[in-house]
Amino acid sequence: MIGFRAGISIAIALVLCVALAVVGWGARTAAQRTIEPEMLAKAQSVGRSAASLVEVAYGSGIPIDKMVGVRSYFADLRKANREFALIRMTTPDGRELARSGDGTGMAGAPVVHTAVTSRSGVPIADIAVTVDPGVISEEVGGVLIDVAFIGIVSLLIALELVALVIGTSGIAALAALEDRLRALAKGRLALHESGAQTRARDLVAPIDQQVSLLAARHAEARAAAARAGDAEALAQLDLVARRTGLGAVSTSENQAAVAVRPALFLFMLAEELTRPFLPRFAQGLAAADEAIGPDLAASLPIVAFMAVMALCQLPFAALSERMGRRPGFLIGALLAAAGYALSASTGDYMLFLAARVTTAVGYALVFVSAQGHVVDHAAGSARTTALAVFVRAIMVASLCGPPIGGVVADRLGPQAAFMLAAGLAVLSLGVAVLTLPAARHAARGAGLAWSDLKDAARAPRLMALLVGCAFPAKLLLAALCFLLVPLQLQAMGYSSAAIGRFQMIYPILMVMLVPVFAAMADRLSARAGFVVLGGLVAGAGALALPLYPGVPTIALALVLLGVGQSMSIASQSALVADSATGGRSAGVLGLFRLVERSGNAAGPAAAGALLAGLGFALSGALLGAVVVAGAALYAVAGRGTLRGEATHAAVASEGEV
Amino acid sequence: MTRTTLWLIALFALIAAACVAFGAYFSYVTLLNAHRNAIEARFAITAERLAGTAERASSLGIALPAQTTFEGLLRREAELEPSISAIDVVDERGVVLFSSEPARVGRADPKVRNAVSKRITSDLGTTIGLVELRYDPEALAAGAAALADDLTVIAIPTLAVACLATILVGLLLALGLRRSARRAAEPASWPPAARTAFETVAKVHLRAAPGAPSSLAPEPRT
Repeated sequence: MIGFRAGISIAIALVLCVALAVVGWGARTAAQRTIEPEMLAKAQSVGRSAASLVEVAYGSGIPIDKMVGVRSYFADLRKANREFALIRMTTPDGRELARSGDGTGMAGAPVVHTAVTSRSGVPIADIAVTVDPGVISEEVGGVLIDVAFIGIVSLLIALELVALVIGTSGIAALAALEDRLRALAKGRLALHESGAQTRARDLVAPIDQQVSLLAARHAEARAAAARAGDAEALAQLDLVARRTGLGAVSTSENQAAVAVRPALFLFMLAEELTRPFLPRFAQGLAAADEAIGPDLAASLPIVAFMAVMALCQLPFAALSERMGRRPGFLIGALLAAAGYALSASTGDYMLFLAARVTTAVGYALVFVSAQGHVVDHAAGSARTTALAVFVRAIMVASLCGPPIGGVVADRLGPQAAFMLAAGLAVLSLGVAVLTLPAARHAARGAGLAWSDLKDAARAPRLMALLVGCAFPAKLLLAALCFLLVPLQLQAMGYSSAAIGRFQMIYPILMVMLVPVFAAMADRLSARAGFVVLGGLVAGAGALALPLYPGVPTIALALVLLGVGQSMSIASQSALVADSATGGRSAGVLGLFRLVERSGNAAGPAAAGALLAGLGFALSGALLGAVVVAGAALYAVAGRGTLRGEATHAAVASEGEV
Repeated sequence: MTRTTLWLIALFALIAAACVAFGAYFSYVTLLNAHRNAIEARFAITAERLAGTAERASSLGIALPAQTTFEGLLRREAELEPSISAIDVVDERGVVLFSSEPARVGRADPKVRNAVSKRITSDLGTTIGLVELRYDPEALAAGAAALADDLTVIAIPTLAVACLATILVGLLLALGLRRSARRAAEPASWPPAARTAFETVAKVHLRAAPGAPSSLAPEPRT
């Protein structure tokens, strides 16, 4: 069953596409009426200018068919004027003397002729410029594609922040009703604890009453069967209860996660805005500094950001516990906003690096504070559900940020995009002030010590999983999505907006496929197998890059990265959670995050170092080979255990950062 | 509940309207830039041609102030294009040496917005002057107005229809949700999967506790 919010979102997406297509058609008509005559006049000026040059040369005694450089002159003219599809010079009897361009598909396109004459006025040649008015339509089409993406992404943002706009109680009421209807559509007869006191109580109460009656009757039947000692009936009753969820209580979303979600989403969105243009922007700042090569210049800010994130993870966990989650979030958001503002305003590369480090410090503090807030207010299985809400907010931000950031950078400049990021960080601060509960200070942050990590590393098979799978996965993700692909697409002439759209491939697949593969891995009891298979699939995409280093292969590599990591990420987290036994759960999870973040930092560093020597395709392939080798290593290390029951439910990792 | 769904519909209609408005505005800006570029590129070609003429004469040893043939040439070029208001050749200090408008000679006017200029360089690459072509801003304003009119005619109805379509779809979905909720109050009208589950459960109950209801008849409300 499709919910109200999902249904209206799909409908608006369709309405928007049609509406923007109509606007595009209108723009094309307007261009034909207003701009096409100007283009023809421009072609006339160009023709006259070219004719006058030829006349000067002819007047100097060069025969018309012996002139050199005419073709390259025409090519230069076409390069400067994209709308000139073809420029030809012919003799009066139709013999072609020079040409630039291809007239294929230009039948019926307007052609502007200019006569080349001798001093006595005798025609000696004709210069014909074929104008392609479709160039303007293409430009408008590009703009409208940007707008369509902004529209769809705006919908996702609206869905994420809708509770802020129309109030959490209204959304809770709608969600309560939709949860019940969706459960019935799936044949699930579990009770729902949420929504009984919301505005939807009149609608949900009759449903709850029917399900409660059925559950009560089931309990009576079970009691009767137990009294009669009817083991077969008892077994059947339990089986049917398991299948239909009868008697079970479906829990609602964790309120702590719901409270932090809008602020966290806005904050994450700020950083995601910078993904498509950051490498190019960094290269531009470093251009004057000969000591820093372009590849290093592009990778260094990303490496610095990720390294600070990795290093701050452990100390900040204790710090945020000590100072309180709310102040931790607020200080972090403020620091990050300052970092974005400094990034926008500086023209100096080293200062830009400092700004990125400041942002990373703020980012790390916000992240651990938000995560700490959720963990503090949820326990047991509720913690898993709450963290899943937290992860979803990050994934949706990574889906929405790059296309918006790309469009803003293209149309208003990267500085404007950084200022927008600063604004979003400040907005997230404001939302956090409103939604996060007052701080609960711990007398002394327990945090994690390095000895805890050392102890955690002794967990059986954990290091094989972390080194073989978790580290390479993040290494490839950060290298490919944040550095290699943006730089390669930029070199191929793609705009930041287009790069942002490519960067959507990975999070879209993650949002769609992680729940599917997580459920499949649970059902088949083959989590380790899914981790290995995911690594092989993700690595294979990057390994394919040298076969044909073009856009289809880049898209394929991103798709396989998304599919592969969707297969492995939830199972990997569950396997890590399974290792977290014997009182070392915090250490194991801390170690897992540290290894993942180290992979995030190592990826762009390795890619930046490899890029200059090997180029895009081979660098990507080499990192892909690391992922494949890691997965193979893990498979060999755990022979015979690729299938096996795990004790923890699969839940995705914390997104891509 | 009704208020929530109406709020949601209004919010989404607003988003749809904003997106169409943004789309139309960005399209307008793109067309406006293309229009300005087309006009200015045409004038730039004229300025470049005149600068080339001055540079050739300079190569032959004729100093810029001595290139008196410019008086007639500038007037002829300006007459070819009605939207050109003046073409000047100025020296390196910005003083007009020759102009299609003879009254401008000897003046040193500040730079204006609606102008295209091209440097005149010597064989050594130093700037010896400038060809400055001033055009009538009306040429741009008329095009901008025509583009705005054309796009407004298409964008406003599209925006209204997009809004209405969103509201209509939203209302239909809200009605559908309400109907589903009402139907869900009675097991007899539950969705097929739920009815099957209910019947399976009822059969098992009947076997375990004979006398339990086994049909999808409405349950008594308490």
